[in-house]
Amino acid sequence: MSRDDGTINMVIAALGGEGGGVLTNWLITAAERSGWWCQSTSLAGVAQRTGATIYYLEFMPRLNGMSPPVMSLFPAQGDIDIAVASEIAEAGRMISRGFISPDKSVLIASDHRVFGITEKSATGDGSVDRDLILEMGERYGRAFIHFDMSEIVQRHGTVISAALLGAIAGSGALPFEQSYFRDLLASGGSAEANLAAFDESFRRAQSGGVGEYVPPEIKAFSLPEASNALGERWLPRIADLPAALQEMAYHSVNRLIDYQDEAYAEEWLSRVSALMDRDLDRESYSLAQEAGRHLALWMAFEDIPRVAQLKVRPDRESMIRSEVKAAAGQPVAVAEFFHPRIEEVAALLPVSWGSALLRSQTAKRWLSRLLGPRTLRTDRVSMQVLLRGLASVRRFRRSTFGYAHERKMIDRWYDAVLSADGQDMAMAIAALGGMVKGYGETRYRTTSRLMQILDYLEHSCGSDPSTIASLHLAAMEPDSDFEPGEVVPSNLEPA
Amino acid sequence: MAERSFTEEVKKLRAGDGEVFKGEGILAITKALLQSGVSYVGGYQGSPISHLMDVLNDAQDILGDLGVHFEANGSEATAAAMLSASINYPLRGAVTWKSTVGTNVASDALSNLASSGVTGGAMVIVGEDYGEGSSIMQERSYAFAMKAQMWLLDPRPNLPSIVDMVEKGFELSEASNTPIFYMMRIRGCHVTGEFVARDNVAPAYHSQAPVTPNREPEKIILPPFVYAQEREKIAQRLPAAIRFVEEHALNEVFPGRYDSVGIITCGGSYNTVIRALQRQGLADIYGETDIPIYCLNVAYPLIPDELVQFCAGKEQVLVLEEGQPEYIEQGIQTVLRRQDVQTRVYGKDIMPMAGEYTGQVMLEGITRFIREASREDIPLKLSLEAVLGTETPVSHEDISRLMAELPPRPAGLCTGCPERPLFSAIKQLQEEMGPFHISSDIGCHSFATAAPFNLGNTIMGYGLSLASSSGMRHALPHKAISIMGDGGFWHNGLTSGVTSAVFNEHDGLLIVIDNGYSAATGGQDIPSLVEPNLIATTLDASQPKRDSWQTIEDACRGAGVKWIRTVSTYNIAAMKETLRSALTTDAPGLKVVVAEGECMLNRQRRVKPLIRQAVSEGRRVKRARFYIDPETCTGDHGCIRLSGCPSLTIRENPDPLRSDPVSYVDNSCVGCGVCGTNAHSAVLCPSFSRVELVDNPTAWDRLLNSTRVRIREWWRARDRKRMAQRQF
Repeated sequence: MSRDDGTINMVIAALGGEGGGVLTNWLITAAERSGWWCQSTSLAGVAQRTGATIYYLEFMPRLNGMSPPVMSLFPAQGDIDIAVASEIAEAGRMISRGFISPDKSVLIASDHRVFGITEKSATGDGSVDRDLILEMGERYGRAFIHFDMSEIVQRHGTVISAALLGAIAGSGALPFEQSYFRDLLASGGSAEANLAAFDESFRRAQSGGVGEYVPPEIKAFSLPEASNALGERWLPRIADLPAALQEMAYHSVNRLIDYQDEAYAEEWLSRVSALMDRDLDRESYSLAQEAGRHLALWMAFEDIPRVAQLKVRPDRESMIRSEVKAAAGQPVAVAEFFHPRIEEVAALLPVSWGSALLRSQTAKRWLSRLLGPRTLRTDRVSMQVLLRGLASVRRFRRSTFGYAHERKMIDRWYDAVLSADGQDMAMAIAALGGMVKGYGETRYRTTSRLMQILDYLEHSCGSDPSTIASLHLAAMEPDSDFEPGEVVPSNLEPA
Repeated sequence: MAERSFTEEVKKLRAGDGEVFKGEGILAITKALLQSGVSYVGGYQGSPISHLMDVLNDAQDILGDLGVHFEANGSEATAAAMLSASINYPLRGAVTWKSTVGTNVASDALSNLASSGVTGGAMVIVGEDYGEGSSIMQERSYAFAMKAQMWLLDPRPNLPSIVDMVEKGFELSEASNTPIFYMMRIRGCHVTGEFVARDNVAPAYHSQAPVTPNREPEKIILPPFVYAQEREKIAQRLPAAIRFVEEHALNEVFPGRYDSVGIITCGGSYNTVIRALQRQGLADIYGETDIPIYCLNVAYPLIPDELVQFCAGKEQVLVLEEGQPEYIEQGIQTVLRRQDVQTRVYGKDIMPMAGEYTGQVMLEGITRFIREASREDIPLKLSLEAVLGTETPVSHEDISRLMAELPPRPAGLCTGCPERPLFSAIKQLQEEMGPFHISSDIGCHSFATAAPFNLGNTIMGYGLSLASSSGMRHALPHKAISIMGDGGFWHNGLTSGVTSAVFNEHDGLLIVIDNGYSAATGGQDIPSLVEPNLIATTLDASQPKRDSWQTIEDACRGAGVKWIRTVSTYNIAAMKETLRSALTTDAPGLKVVVAEGECMLNRQRRVKPLIRQAVSEGRRVKRARFYIDPETCTGDHGCIRLSGCPSLTIRENPDPLRSDPVSYVDNSCVGCGVCGTNAHSAVLCPSFSRVELVDNPTAWDRLLNSTRVRIREWWRARDRKRMAQRQF
């Protein structure tokens, strides 16, 4: 209760198209049926489907013979009893705007994430720190009720407003009968799903929803028992590695055997042990860890055989069916968007042929008729045959033009890591391995920028880890040109 | 067909004497108009009064029964010109628009209307789009009211006051022969509440009861009459208005026991003032106040005698007026000085000059006022320091940590927006042709100026993109590019843009985005609307178009455009090529590309029921949605940078060796196919696939499917065995 006059002030932060308006109307009706005054207002603004929207409500008991109260249209700092957010970052926004007062505000939020465009469009990982916001909610809310309502409503096939209503009712922050809320939903559209979501959310809010925030604990990795000859050979060798490296090594070796063969994995392991010798961090072997991971990923680079191999994976079909919620036995057609370019084809040819192809204009012209955008029905048997055929080409991978090309780049980066002076320097260069991403143009951009940085490091004296870090950051900016010389301060220019 | 239907709500508009009416402020205003016996209504949509237009639209049968004429005007200027019906005849009329932008568009007609003066009540309901939630540049409508001598009503934001002021407003307009601004703030438009209704009043004149044509030359805005009209404004209309406002007590005085101080506030801010006083223990929830309040429900003109009366015997008053310049404060100072009233007037000296008077601002302001006035005799619950403290309980360190983490949420294009593929195409073209300077416009497409597209340099006004590129085109490395929506095209773009550009041999490119209706304001109909909301090049088979269809292409040809192409936005490759040729052709004159595509959300609303029915009837139905392969996705998010579709998002990378999140299509995907088409035209990656589910498969479907499954299953079994040996 906010003031002695018994009003309750509530602010709701939702995203455009999430049904914040519907939720507000439910609350108004519930209040009226409970014999309360309720005034609401909203800022739809240019919400469209992605912008943030704000709803503000004030409640007050109707007293006989008293005139209507004068209620505010603005949520005010220090004057909010209940704050509701349909998404955790929006809860964080309300905290940052000062709407959450430790002495009075109950904060109710679905703690799933709806990513903002800047988070999504980053070349790497631009997503925000959810745990930080959860931790602050605990600190600044009088009570903090949060759980994944999005998961609940998806399960029941409805929208988040129903779960939010359940959480609000379950929080007990509003003195209205639960039945008022349920009757509302029962009389509305898709009543069954809404009620199911409401009830589950109500229960969660009453029990599990409230309470201390427990930071997620990381389960320790342990090597499995050997189940085949391969395991007999490899597991002991991985077990000999420092504990810190075993998980990474386990996955890397498996990936490279699957990608090529054991010899390929051998090669990787010998390089990692070279990295270990050079690693000054004897505790967690951070250098071998970082460089080894990127090395494995890069060695298993995505060429046509690799993509084909992944596309005919045994477990892939079931993954798709569950993702699109296909009923058992329901026919599902999968049309994949491929756009093979001359470059990818050349990559499959023996070194000399490949480079010859890229030089010959006539061959290019002739071939380009066959290539270009293709939409292939990979559920068809014919396509399966084709893909499996392409996947099997990996036997000859080591002799292909593409392999030679990638190999040159990998070696260059790897040698730069080994020959770097100082742990930090080596770490910074190792991290550059993370730039290698994407296909076609994107892949070309990321790798060539990495090479640009290595060129720069060769010719410039006295660059330090921070220089590399800033180069790394700049190189990850997809929409702007990249010129190492312009990124770093002039005093680091090549002598 | 607007996005939101008011068909249920408008039934309330039939409410009669004594019935309690519950609903939004917008709906209350509509009811008040009917209770005032309006003869005609019109306007142009735009936040925050879009819903007023939607309500009127959905209420057409009720309006019809009463004999009220409604028009969805082509622009605010059209709406303002409508009011000329009240010049010669006792016809009450009301129009509405978003202000100040709409007022600017309407200003020519408004000035002339104000000069001629009116016989019947004429009211402009302006949605004052100022402060948080606004979508336009920040200005006040007040200035226009002053310079054109139109009265400005700013009622207290509760439904009874809102309704009462509409009715009183018409009387005031007639008593003073002056058109009126009725100002609604954003939150006021959407505020909910209740009031006791009265019967609707049918207008005296309508199609069944026409007026007798009546010419009054002295009301025409030509010399010599204009000089007389200017004098009349001051000699007759203003005094008449002041008299009416006083006699009917449109402004309110709320007495309080500390009567040597006072607060003068605009009606629209009254509730915020009371809340601030409540929090300081100087008022109760029912509005009983200890500090006397003079509430200006009529913000212009000021009523000198009332002001003097209120201020007489007061040592200090605080003037609360949102925005700048402080017209009202200046007016009050003038009145008091002329009458030699020595009350100290506080205002913008202690209140913020710019921005909204929010709860916090008001609480701070009033507290500061009591302190500046050094009224120790007035007890405050919260000291100024305490008030400043409430601004945020969050520590500076936490604020900065939060600010670093919170993602901005710029308004963006909806899932399945037909404009998205257009901007994907432009962005890809920019990759090839170098950076573009683009003149943008008002509408959803404005959002292309934000991430991820970052396309567009200037926005000059509704339908003005082409016009705004004309001063630039001689100094650009490429042909000038202007982007305009269909709404803007019909509002202003055809005349101010296309005809002028053709006349001036503008060798540039105009892209008109045609989705069949006005999108940004909530799906209102426009001249080029296609019924049902369906474009020739939507994903579906073409359907009959509205016979009265006014096509953008014909309009352009009529204006003299020779080079014009119509392309489906969903065909990104074709769009790229068309735009490229428009930017490289030697053909002289304006190049127009009509980029048409249906809103996928509208399509969903239309086809979902049909599909559901078909499925239930056991007919064979295909449904498509998109899928991204988490195993081939490397997490570079190039697809997102070309799309920004809400359903194209990211999630944790299932690959234990990769840390960056993978792209992911969530269940809100409507299967418009843009991400796949992008993957092709931009050569992105082999991770996208369109998954088609077949409901009620035929026998042949089942046979084919089961055969394929069996064969794939045989392969999979073999693969599993092999993998068991190749993995450990």
